[in-house]
Amino acid sequence: MTRTMNMQGNQACALGAIEAGCRFFAGYPITPSSEVAEQMAAQLPKVGGTFIQMEDEIASMGAVIGASMGGLKAMTATSGPGFSLKQENIGYASGAEIPCVIVNVMRGGPSTGMPTRPSQGDIMQSRWGTHGDHPIIVLAPASVAEAYHETIRAFDLSERLRVPVIVLIDEVIGHLVETVDPGEAGQEHVARTFASGPAEGFKPYAITDDLVPPFPRPGDGYRSHTTGLTHSETGFPTQNPALAAAALNRITDKLVLHNDLIERWRVREADDADILIAAIGISARAAEAAVTKLRAEGIMAGLFRPVTLWPFPEGALLGVIDKAGAKALLVPEMNQGQMIREVERLVAGRLPVHGLNRIDGEAITPADIIARVREIAP
Amino acid sequence: MSSIEIRFSGSGGQGLITAARILAGALTGEGRHVARSQSYEPVSRGGLSRSDLVVSDDGADFPLSTRLKYLLILDAAAANASDGLLDGDSEVLVDAELVPNPPTGDFRVYSLPFTDTARRLGNKRVANIVALGALAAQSGLIAPDVIRRAVEAASPKRFQRLNLEALEAGQQMIG
Repeated sequence: MTRTMNMQGNQACALGAIEAGCRFFAGYPITPSSEVAEQMAAQLPKVGGTFIQMEDEIASMGAVIGASMGGLKAMTATSGPGFSLKQENIGYASGAEIPCVIVNVMRGGPSTGMPTRPSQGDIMQSRWGTHGDHPIIVLAPASVAEAYHETIRAFDLSERLRVPVIVLIDEVIGHLVETVDPGEAGQEHVARTFASGPAEGFKPYAITDDLVPPFPRPGDGYRSHTTGLTHSETGFPTQNPALAAAALNRITDKLVLHNDLIERWRVREADDADILIAAIGISARAAEAAVTKLRAEGIMAGLFRPVTLWPFPEGALLGVIDKAGAKALLVPEMNQGQMIREVERLVAGRLPVHGLNRIDGEAITPADIIARVREIAP
Repeated sequence: MSSIEIRFSGSGGQGLITAARILAGALTGEGRHVARSQSYEPVSRGGLSRSDLVVSDDGADFPLSTRLKYLLILDAAAANASDGLLDGDSEVLVDAELVPNPPTGDFRVYSLPFTDTARRLGNKRVANIVALGALAAQSGLIAPDVIRRAVEAASPKRFQRLNLEALEAGQQMIG
């Protein structure tokens, strides 16, 4: 039996989180993400969960990390300057390998920017916002239904791989209401692997074949130490070059090892595309409509849409380009050119890469994309 | 079916978003897919306000309006805000009293007494529901009994009768 309903994008993130087993939310409401906190405040108490409105974004990220260290699935949501404030603690979660989910409904900047207008200005910040080389996963839903299901997947990946996962949406998707079939409620979801076996000699950051160490649940009797300092397998700080390199390489290598779980992308009319459009979020929805219209006038356009934005699905993109024999790429995005840098890096000059950018607080439209494709069509 | 785009526009506080939500819910109940977006200014009353529906059978590619089939305008503030989204196939319904200068072009414009009718029913704040009735009838997208049930379900008990009268008055404006 379907439970088809009209749902808002931000609401979908909250309901997806609850379905995934999230039982703790700490946040500081900020436009255009506020409805995530509003929904969590309403829904969490009904399932025995906890909602806390903290004094700011920094504290709310800290509270989420603390709840997760206690063993709960935990989430926060934010936008714009709030996302900037959370970055230091996101780095802590990444380095100390504390599972957590951060919904970022992008707001343009710099600074306070245009709070109610759409932007895709955090494509790079979501990957590189916190300092140092660090693992992070970023999922970029392009519809309300996908916001629901990808938020569930964010928890699954975060718990399985002990890594922060960011659900990155734009204001259009966040505030859009669409008809969604959420599927059956109460499904089994990925549970964190908690440490088991002898407590004697337990190493909380052991380097195993899986590269993801089992999590010592407080109260289970395991001696552990958690720090933002670079640490050895014992969890205690080290500056031993060999131990430091091994520890830091492990936390980034674990995402490479488990890329099959992480990578997700979608295409439309890409198999024989002369011009391949790469886009996420509402810009990808505009591209879908544009591709249909362009094909009708004989222009061979296609779409490549990363659902997992980071790590960028690089092998997939290159494979699609090769298979199609694409002659040019177009990257429409609501910023001055962020995802295009990753795309240019990957194709390394093999074919021209064109941008289409809006930073005026308006979404990119199918007409914008059609006009740009006509300009660059070979 | 290609998608059908509908816009409710006016000024903040006129109940445009409520009316759009009622229609969207009714259409979804009939098996349609609806994408609903809205835009308003950071004030509780006044300022340009609008809510758009993109109605399709299996989900629209692009969920925002690009070419309106039906445009409702309830306030002069919104009179020309949607001009770029109209073409010869568009149908524009405006409030006769509050929008003295409706948009002009090769589309059809119907100037109808939404506010005046609401006032005669006893509360000019139900002009949104009068307009919803007219829009539902004009578009033929939804059966009269379906939209009637949707308005009934969305109304607080003490406004149910007034809202249903408003809806019916709006439906009767379309001959």
